Amino acid sequence: MTLLQFLGQIATLARWEIKRTFGIMGKSMLPAAVILFVLLIAVTGFTAERGLHLQDGLYRIGVDDQKLAAIFGGDERFSIDVSDSVTLVEHRTDYDIVIVEGQAYIQRNDRGRSALKTLQRDYQQYLDSVYSQQQDLFAAYPLWIDLQEVKSEIDFSATASGQTISVSPASTAPPVPEGPIVQVPEPDPGVAISPEDLRQGLQESLGQQQDQLARYSDLVGPESPFGSFKTPSQLSPPLPFDSIILVFLFIFPLYFTSQFYMMSIMQERLERKGEVLLSSPAGAPAIIFGKALPYFIGMLAISAGIALYLQVPLEILLPLFPVILFFLANALLIGMASRSFKELSFISIFFSTVATSYLFFPSIFANVHVISLVSPLTLVVLTLQGEAYTLSQYLFSTSLFFLTSVTLFYVGIVNFKEERLFSQAGILRRIREFVSTSLSEKHPWVSLFAINAFVVPFVFMMQMLLLVLFFNLPMPLSLILLIVSAAFVEEIAKSVGICTFLLESPHLFSWARVVLGAAVTAAAFLFAEKLLLFVTLTQITESVFGSILFLSSGALTLVLPFLLHFIGVLIVASFVKFTGAKGYIPGILLATIVHSLYNGYFILGWLM
Amino acid sequence: MNVRNVFLVMKKDLSGLGKERTIVLAILLQLFVALFSSFLMVGLTSMYDPSSLARYSVVKYQVGYVGESPDLRDLLQKSNQFQIYSMDLSTAVAALTERKLSAVVYVPDTGMDADDPVKITLYSLQNDIQSTIVNVQLKEVFLDYEEKLRETRSGRLDLLPVTVEFPASRSAPGFYEFIYGLLIPLLLFMPAIISAALIIDLVTEEYQHHTLETLLSTPMTMTEVVWGKIVACLVLVPVQAGCWLLLLTLNRIAIANMLQILLLVITSSMVLILIGALTALYYRERTAAQFIFSTAVVVLMLLVLAFPNNPLNLIALLATGSAGIEQWVILGGSLLVCGILGFITHAFATRVSTRAPGE
Repeated sequence: MTLLQFLGQIATLARWEIKRTFGIMGKSMLPAAVILFVLLIAVTGFTAERGLHLQDGLYRIGVDDQKLAAIFGGDERFSIDVSDSVTLVEHRTDYDIVIVEGQAYIQRNDRGRSALKTLQRDYQQYLDSVYSQQQDLFAAYPLWIDLQEVKSEIDFSATASGQTISVSPASTAPPVPEGPIVQVPEPDPGVAISPEDLRQGLQESLGQQQDQLARYSDLVGPESPFGSFKTPSQLSPPLPFDSIILVFLFIFPLYFTSQFYMMSIMQERLERKGEVLLSSPAGAPAIIFGKALPYFIGMLAISAGIALYLQVPLEILLPLFPVILFFLANALLIGMASRSFKELSFISIFFSTVATSYLFFPSIFANVHVISLVSPLTLVVLTLQGEAYTLSQYLFSTSLFFLTSVTLFYVGIVNFKEERLFSQAGILRRIREFVSTSLSEKHPWVSLFAINAFVVPFVFMMQMLLLVLFFNLPMPLSLILLIVSAAFVEEIAKSVGICTFLLESPHLFSWARVVLGAAVTAAAFLFAEKLLLFVTLTQITESVFGSILFLSSGALTLVLPFLLHFIGVLIVASFVKFTGAKGYIPGILLATIVHSLYNGYFILGWLM
Repeated sequence: MNVRNVFLVMKKDLSGLGKERTIVLAILLQLFVALFSSFLMVGLTSMYDPSSLARYSVVKYQVGYVGESPDLRDLLQKSNQFQIYSMDLSTAVAALTERKLSAVVYVPDTGMDADDPVKITLYSLQNDIQSTIVNVQLKEVFLDYEEKLRETRSGRLDLLPVTVEFPASRSAPGFYEFIYGLLIPLLLFMPAIISAALIIDLVTEEYQHHTLETLLSTPMTMTEVVWGKIVACLVLVPVQAGCWLLLLTLNRIAIANMLQILLLVITSSMVLILIGALTALYYRERTAAQFIFSTAVVVLMLLVLAFPNNPLNLIALLATGSAGIEQWVILGGSLLVCGILGFITHAFATRVSTRAPGE
């Protein structure tokens, strides 16, 4: 089959797919969809105007001054009573906070304290609004900070890999730099911006403070409109709130469209309808890509449309491209694996939540830390903010998505045949079948090497997710959790290939071959890990967290990490060889413990 | 309508769910969301709230101080968070790039009551989580200094704000609003969404797998089948929501008015389930039904959230014990909506049952 023929088949199947989808839609869905879409836009506008009312009336406060009621009345979390001070004091237990003659009294419980915090925050905003109207602006805002960011020269390649800022001893002598001292010009004490411009900027940033997310913590300070020039309260890193909302706008249509693809794959399996397609000369790749093509183009078109509408540069499609591929690849496998509609729903909801967490949460930190780059959406946020990113940053955040998508498509293609599609086995069993089809009994070593090399991007992805999850916790706890869970994920990933062999074709594997298999697995894992790190390198390894995840491929020799991987796999494989599927979980647990101890030894100096 | 038949359909669908065991995924998912959001919240707060951070660390961050003015220097020293070194600017910045300092502060000799503002230059490391923390701690000191400067210059203010004195309080529970005002309502409504998606699958599956004919060839009627499925989805709601309430309580999050909360969750879920059932009966095809339903739910949720005293708001109020008499009005209202939708569903199911499937 020539390439041209193949492309022709894809085009034909894509045409069929479009016809089929519109066949379903056209009947009765299209009018309803249009109406709902219009309603959606209208309601979004309406709700955006009115705000989300989730916490209205959470606190009751009583005040004796009409002016105070007006100040705090803007916050719908308070229901406010105005009364004279005697009545208020008498009924003080009815209120979370009572303000009498300029003095606030609170209930000594959690709600009271929380109310106080909210009230103080509101009061601060009121003060700011008064201050920003002062004639003498510099009497109200006497302190300004010019934040200069300096790039640290110590990077992961130095011996001090993963070093944190020195917090050590209480020595009285100032530290002396080792390197050459570059002359830094003394900053000019004057303010380059006119007071009127400053006033305007301050009033604008006051308006931003009201947004809904900011109420949960003080962290998301308002962004300074003057770049690096800030008042003290603007010193915390700003939350890219608007950009994040826009990111959602990009991602939602992608979910919906990939759902259609998922369902289309599922349809072929209903009542064995797909048999007709399978018996046609078009092979599995043509069917899969042909069916995916309309959705792929649709997703790109929708994203481009949104970008044009928002008047952002079309480069924004670059980071979205791997995300689209990833969604489609997952949709394919979910559509192929689930037995019923219920299962399809549950798995796809599960998948989309996990994927959203992975994609979305890191981008909150877009202005704080490089860790946010694990998600391609951070690049979208950066593009929306009008900031540039480098090619290596692009590779870092997207390579995992590209690699995993390709792997998933491959698994989908080799399994796209009758006995897999129409089987009704349980989900875990089916996953095992999928894996075993992707392995070749004729070339067990090559397959083992390949599967372990291709599983590495998934491992990285999981570990990135763990990193984002745990890096929020206080330090020693987060390190330990990260060590253990990273080891756990790695052990599971490495065991997939060899254990599938052991369970599906036990006759192939004698004890000697188990040992050899473990060695091949370890080698493949190490090889892929190295290769992937080579591509994505510097971004993450800078921090101490990075050194945990990627320790086994760090600057040490190759021998130790190889031995570690080898022993881990061997433990699991031996358990499975001995006791069958039952032995899997104890094997994994033991291997995880060994792996964690190893990592702990090298990072925290345990056992020393 | 025979109640026994309804019960039979319900049992069949629930045991189907049990057999597939993928409902475990749904539960896992809820746990995951809860974990993730709490981690995120706790993380954000501990990262940005110096007082909560100070509990974990006794370390002092090393800060280079350039300039003569002693006021800020004293404040920095008093805060006990920093080790201050007087240095010259170039050396200090060089030490910073080698990570021997956490930050460098340059202070000009602008007087406290000068006409111009005091403009401090703060050098910090780019894109570094630790320097973010240091900056937030410095921010506290800068705010104090700003307050001090304001006091010195207060004679020059022409608009005076209304003053309120606040009591000194133990640091407030940072997550109160997050837990009660966001997490609990969302967690308790997740079962509703899951059940509503489930009813669509259950109904369309019978059509698309052509199992409905078999089912209807027994003495069962279409309405009994539909109600059986609705009940199956509905009983899952209080089970899941109850688990959440239990888990949260075990986690020492006190929740008031649990019974009313459960009632409210059940009735609101019923509304969503009935809408789902209607959509499924109308389209009889999963793709269309799920798409229309999920869009409709987004529209409905957004609309409802635009008004105070919506069910999610009410859950927050009930859980904190701040709900007043209005709770019964809303509960009554959602019961009424349930009744109307139930009646429509019943009538619609009767009508479609007289049609041949696929018509």
